[in-house]
Amino acid sequence: MSLNILAVLPEILILVVGILVLVLDPFWKKDEQRRVNLGWLTAGGLTVALVLSLLLDRPADPALAWGGMVRFDWLAFVFKMFILFAAAITALFFMDVERLGKRAEAYLLLLAATIGMCLMVSSSDLVMLFLAIETTSIPMYVLAGFMLDDKKSTEAGFKYLLFGAMTSAIFLYGLSLVYGFSGTTQLENMRSYFLSLNPISVGVLFLLVVGLGFKISLAPFHFWAPDTYEGAPTPVAGILSTASKAAGLAVLIRLFITAFPQVESNWQVILAVLAALSMTIGNLVALAQKNIKRLLAYSSIAHAGYALVGVVAGTRFGIEAVVYYLIAYVLTNLAAFGIVAAFGRVAGSDDIRAYDGLSRRSPYLALAMLVAFLSLAGMPPFGGFIAKVLVFAAAVEAGWYWLVIVGIINSVVGVYYYLTVMKYVYLYRMEGENEEAHPIPVTRPYAIAIVVLTIGIILTGTLFAPWFGLSTDAALSLFF
Amino acid sequence: MDASQIIFFLSAALILVSALFVVTARNLVHAALWLIATLFGVAVLYVLLEAGFLAVVQVVVYIGAIAILFIFAVMLTRRDLLSQSSQTNANWPVALGVSALSLAAIAFIARGFGFSLDRPLAPVPTDSLERLGQALVSPQQFVLPFEVASVLLVAALVGAVYVAMNKK
Amino acid sequence: MIPLSWYLYLSAALFAIGLYGVLARKNAIAILLGIELMLNAANINLVAFWRYTDPAQMAGQVFAIIVFAVAAAEVAVGLSLVISIYRARKTVIADELDLMKW
Repeated sequence: MSLNILAVLPEILILVVGILVLVLDPFWKKDEQRRVNLGWLTAGGLTVALVLSLLLDRPADPALAWGGMVRFDWLAFVFKMFILFAAAITALFFMDVERLGKRAEAYLLLLAATIGMCLMVSSSDLVMLFLAIETTSIPMYVLAGFMLDDKKSTEAGFKYLLFGAMTSAIFLYGLSLVYGFSGTTQLENMRSYFLSLNPISVGVLFLLVVGLGFKISLAPFHFWAPDTYEGAPTPVAGILSTASKAAGLAVLIRLFITAFPQVESNWQVILAVLAALSMTIGNLVALAQKNIKRLLAYSSIAHAGYALVGVVAGTRFGIEAVVYYLIAYVLTNLAAFGIVAAFGRVAGSDDIRAYDGLSRRSPYLALAMLVAFLSLAGMPPFGGFIAKVLVFAAAVEAGWYWLVIVGIINSVVGVYYYLTVMKYVYLYRMEGENEEAHPIPVTRPYAIAIVVLTIGIILTGTLFAPWFGLSTDAALSLFF
Repeated sequence: MDASQIIFFLSAALILVSALFVVTARNLVHAALWLIATLFGVAVLYVLLEAGFLAVVQVVVYIGAIAILFIFAVMLTRRDLLSQSSQTNANWPVALGVSALSLAAIAFIARGFGFSLDRPLAPVPTDSLERLGQALVSPQQFVLPFEVASVLLVAALVGAVYVAMNKK
Repeated sequence: MIPLSWYLYLSAALFAIGLYGVLARKNAIAILLGIELMLNAANINLVAFWRYTDPAQMAGQVFAIIVFAVAAAEVAVGLSLVISIYRARKTVIADELDLMKW
């Protein structure tokens, strides 16, 4: 246990960016000037933080730091890099959203939530873990309800807050019992206390799963997700469904593998049922959606289910598969939400029918959307395909045949509704209009972000080795 | 039955009865006032547990700030207060079932564990307040959460001010 | 002498009452009141466990203090969202906020 600045370097850098935002904001008087400066400052600052961390901050052997509050290891490192990346992209998306883009508060809350997520993935102490989860959630409640004059947005923030506060209270109660039964708040000291199948560990696990299930939006704790995603500003929905979800899964992995390895059969069954439920409910309800953000919400519930399949496997290969899945998923879903935001701010609608003839209105946006949706559907040669193959392979290897069968049936259902959306984009025409007269201009921040993400989706699908190397390092650091 | 047990039962009764009023009172101002009674009962428990500092924090932060904030919020959203209709939604029997179930489950868990520790293992060290202060700022202990809490509070402050001061 | 289990039973009861309030109440502020009860139940657990296991280690009390900070932040943000929604919609009844289907 050392005083390791490197263990919290990304957080410190984000904090510096946040302080800059706070200090510089009053000097930019005009709305337009502020919007441009704040957006580039945040996105640029996060990118610098990302690059500096990549250069300086590679962990060696896993080590506890800061009195055991955080664990400095590859799992945390890989997730932190993708969280920083997702936050930088989200800052770009913020810039051209009305109201969100020109308020320093929005960027500040985004940065605070990013610090929270970075700490979530590395925390190895119950106190730190609880605080990190709340530091992520509380700014997100405000961001989801940021459009104060938009009734849907305030309602989204409000529902997210009520669900979030309730589940975090339940989660905290679970943590208090964990602390009591093990007498320690350090995850690594707990493994000897939760020894076997017994009602105590089942009950405690249940409380913890409720809390984390909410963050990851697993069925049946998903009720908030569709409403919140629909009402929240689209970029906020984007980061909620990607980085925040990935951070929640990282916590789940670390908590269960580190603290409860002895009761594996307990939590594996609980999680397997939740994974099957999430995949099925997410995909079936998505079939009936008419609003693209609600469709993506249900699809993200289903994706949480797929990712969980790898956690259920519980082996090293399983964890590698989950990490790979999350890398591909973060890139893909961010792209999907970014495209929806770019479209929605011009077209003024999130209806799926509004996408009629998009391929003629903006061929490049349509192409990016095709890439993102095919990747979500799990088609080669995109990231989503390899990710899905990996999690299912890991589950087969661990003997979870029924779960894999459920997953494969669900993937087929998924392909159907993703392609339905693409049918509107590519085959349908705007009724009685000339599409060329209604172009969808894409502003520079959006163009940069979407191009980067699209390249990422293709790279995760074609260049297998570097990403899998990262996943392997991440998984290895957990099994010791 | 010794004095501490009597105090425990009195404060437990205060906590549970007032908590029941918090969740059933029709008038929300009353509910918020009952919450103060509950919080006060919890503060008494902290004293019984020899965590004097937490008892003070409970009174100052919880009663002095949080409960008062609730009363303000109730006053500012008064319209719903005047309605005489029921304050519970249609699902209340389900809610009752779920909470009864969770009570049974948690009590069962507690029973499996609680009796193994009938009496405190060790006396509270006399310098426990000093230890608490050191634990909060020592880099070998909890300084990181302590600092992160300040980030959270700043973010919450900025967020709350932004939401509450909506200038058209 | 008070056995630990008494504290645990009390906190379980307080938690269940709070949960009932959260699930059954219509008014958003009442729901937040229920959440405060649940947080207090957890805090009773934390402090009781601190006292009955190893009072020389302050982890339990530190945890409780962090919970205080989080509760304050949550209530500040929560109530400001409630007030802003009241301004826009003139209601804080959770059931009536149904622009989007639950």
